[in-house]
Amino acid sequence: MKQFRRLTYPYIIWISAMIVIPMLLIVLYAFTKQGNDVATLQFTFDNFTKFFTDPDFLKILFLSLRIALITTILCVLIGYPVAYAIAQASPARQNFYILLITLPMWINMLVRTYAWIGILADNGVINNILQFFGMSPTKLLYTDFAVTLGMVYNFVPFMILQIHSSLTKMDRSLLDAANDLGANKVQAFRRVTFPLSLPGVISGITLVFLPAVSSFVIPKLLGGAGKPLIGNIIETQFITVGEWNFGSAISMIMAVIIMASMYVTRKLDKDNDEEKGKRGRAL
Amino acid sequence: MKKLIQFKNIVKEFDGQLVLKGINLDINENEFVTLLGPSGCGKTTLLRILGGFLNQTEGHVVFDGEVIDNVPPYKRELNTVFQKYALFPHMSVYDNIAFGLKIKKVSKDVIEQKVMKMLKLVNLEGYEDRSVTLLSGGQQQRVAIARALVNEPMVLLLDEPLGALDLKLRKEMQHELKKIQQEVGITFIYVTHDQEEALTMSDKIVVMKDGEIQQIGTPIEIYNEPENEYVARFIGDSNIIPGIMLEDYKVMFDDLKFDCVDFGFKEKEPVDIVIRPEDLDIVEETQGKLTGTVKSVLFKGVHYEIIVETVPGTEVTVRMNVSKEHPAASSDASEKISANDFYVDLEDVAELNDAEVIARADAQAWNVEDDELLSIAKIEYDVKEEIGTYPVTFTSAGGVSVTTKIFVVQQTYVENKKANEAISAFNIFKTVDDIKESTALDTDLKTWANAQGWKLDDEDAVVEITDVDYDFDPDHIEEGVYTVRFSTQGRELKVHTTDVSEEGAEVGLLFQPEDIHVMNKMGSY
Repeated sequence: MKQFRRLTYPYIIWISAMIVIPMLLIVLYAFTKQGNDVATLQFTFDNFTKFFTDPDFLKILFLSLRIALITTILCVLIGYPVAYAIAQASPARQNFYILLITLPMWINMLVRTYAWIGILADNGVINNILQFFGMSPTKLLYTDFAVTLGMVYNFVPFMILQIHSSLTKMDRSLLDAANDLGANKVQAFRRVTFPLSLPGVISGITLVFLPAVSSFVIPKLLGGAGKPLIGNIIETQFITVGEWNFGSAISMIMAVIIMASMYVTRKLDKDNDEEKGKRGRAL
Repeated sequence: MKKLIQFKNIVKEFDGQLVLKGINLDINENEFVTLLGPSGCGKTTLLRILGGFLNQTEGHVVFDGEVIDNVPPYKRELNTVFQKYALFPHMSVYDNIAFGLKIKKVSKDVIEQKVMKMLKLVNLEGYEDRSVTLLSGGQQQRVAIARALVNEPMVLLLDEPLGALDLKLRKEMQHELKKIQQEVGITFIYVTHDQEEALTMSDKIVVMKDGEIQQIGTPIEIYNEPENEYVARFIGDSNIIPGIMLEDYKVMFDDLKFDCVDFGFKEKEPVDIVIRPEDLDIVEETQGKLTGTVKSVLFKGVHYEIIVETVPGTEVTVRMNVSKEHPAASSDASEKISANDFYVDLEDVAELNDAEVIARADAQAWNVEDDELLSIAKIEYDVKEEIGTYPVTFTSAGGVSVTTKIFVVQQTYVENKKANEAISAFNIFKTVDDIKESTALDTDLKTWANAQGWKLDDEDAVVEITDVDYDFDPDHIEEGVYTVRFSTQGRELKVHTTDVSEEGAEVGLLFQPEDIHVMNKMGSY
């Protein structure tokens, strides 16, 4: 294998140029003042102070985390039963269902989100139906509901795939063993299947929470201009306002929050692992 | 003893394939019963039906006097030790063992008491807080047994539980399992393909094959009185010899008559005879009931395994003329055709047909450019049933032809009166390329030489030619004359003894009438 190692060099150069250097630049921007050129860098914490002292920004941060959290919880609640049902089917059918789940992902996310505008708009599909039955039209588009719906719709396949793969990896004979030891289907699920599928749930949570907390397309299209989330603020700072330094600082804050939440979920997972190793008895 | 489990005509079908073909079997209380058979014989299927994990297509399972066909697994009073243990990886040793008791809502202190008792029984004291994933195979095995036994089932099902362990550990666990079974005093139903395991542990062995029970009996019965060749081969080492039951207590094999203790067969009924290698003793040539030559001596640790040939094989040697070029290959621009001279026995001339002639002459036509074989369109020969030489012409579709000779001769053959057989073969004409291109040389040589064997007293009974020897290296053969020897296997008997013999020595073999076990021929069973 050693002789192939050289083949990775172009990739390493690529990563450095396209990922590592830009990230370092973001850090550099976050800690410097606007308008200086590289020769005369002026370090400052002003960008961070500005964010943490402005209640509007903090409120937006809180809203973003809340929507991401709700999205993640909904994804688990919807994704788990779906993944479980798929895992019960015959292998050929499972492939078909997985295909159905992944099929929408072949279409651009922007297009799929635009479709929701048509459905949720004041004169959209849902309101038309409501009116047809004589009910008063409801405001759906540009609400938290619309944003959450868009996020769940976009991210639930990741949850389903993760949980499904952890369920199918499970040895079927464990269920036979549980039945054999007197557990009926519900007991076997609660004591064997569910605990063993938790790693899948946790990696699903990571895969849903991260894009949900930093998404800017979905809140922009479905939440409208009046409901910006943290992703939109970053986007505005870079593109509209031109405050690259402040935008970089918010990006860094988000990165830290994301890393912290990943650390917590990892830790939860690991505790689970260690429980069976050390703590032993759970009477 | 009370009948605890009854299988009544159990039939199981998977996708139209019969896996169990009507199993009838009674299992008593406190018995160690082994279902023994090769993989695919249906033994695990039967166990899974009893466990409730599979439903039988037909038939009934009776457990303790009640039909349990529709009782789900979690309500059956039996527990299973699974093939790969199926321990719960997210639980400690303690929680694994306690699983069944917790489901039954047994109080915590009783659970603790019972689990600790089980850990002691399976020699795993102090392991209760370990993760099962960190245990060795043998330890996992013990946890699986403890997890099943702690529920105090009436029956423990064990599905090849020792299959994943190494030999030494397997032997230890065999003894331990037997000990545990005697200690807890419940029925064990054990599935294995390992005959030694079955003989060591069981009270009763059920030998299965292709979804049918071949024999049920104690280990000693199964070993000493196998009911057919299959059981005899599966259990222990054995010499299996075809013979004829002359009358009660008289059997004949290899044209010799012997006294035996078997009776109840039809007169002159063809049977199979088993003589266990350890029942044969090597004695002076003059004192043996059979005589033979020592072919090989192998040291096997406790005993020697000595092969004695009591009936020699038959062999015939022929000459093979190998020439460089095809004797009469003709060619034009694109096609070539080749064929060889060959011999035919006067008696076989009448049966000669086109396919036979092509095969014996090894006639081939091919395209020069791409070496693709072409069909031979026409064969012309006029062979009379008289000794002589006759031309044969092969013509390819493209019109290229070659003419070779058929020698009709009076065939001589080698007779082996002691083995009641004869074999014959013809001299061969071949080219260097024919030999080099042959992918299955032994079979080709048999075809080219028309090597055949038959019984002296019954010319239609075919005797297989088992060995083909030759004095050339097929990869580096050059033109010349070589010898090819065709031979049949005689009767070789395996002897297990602690006394060593010399290879090549002439010896006698001694055995008692009760050492001859007469069995039904397979198929008539």
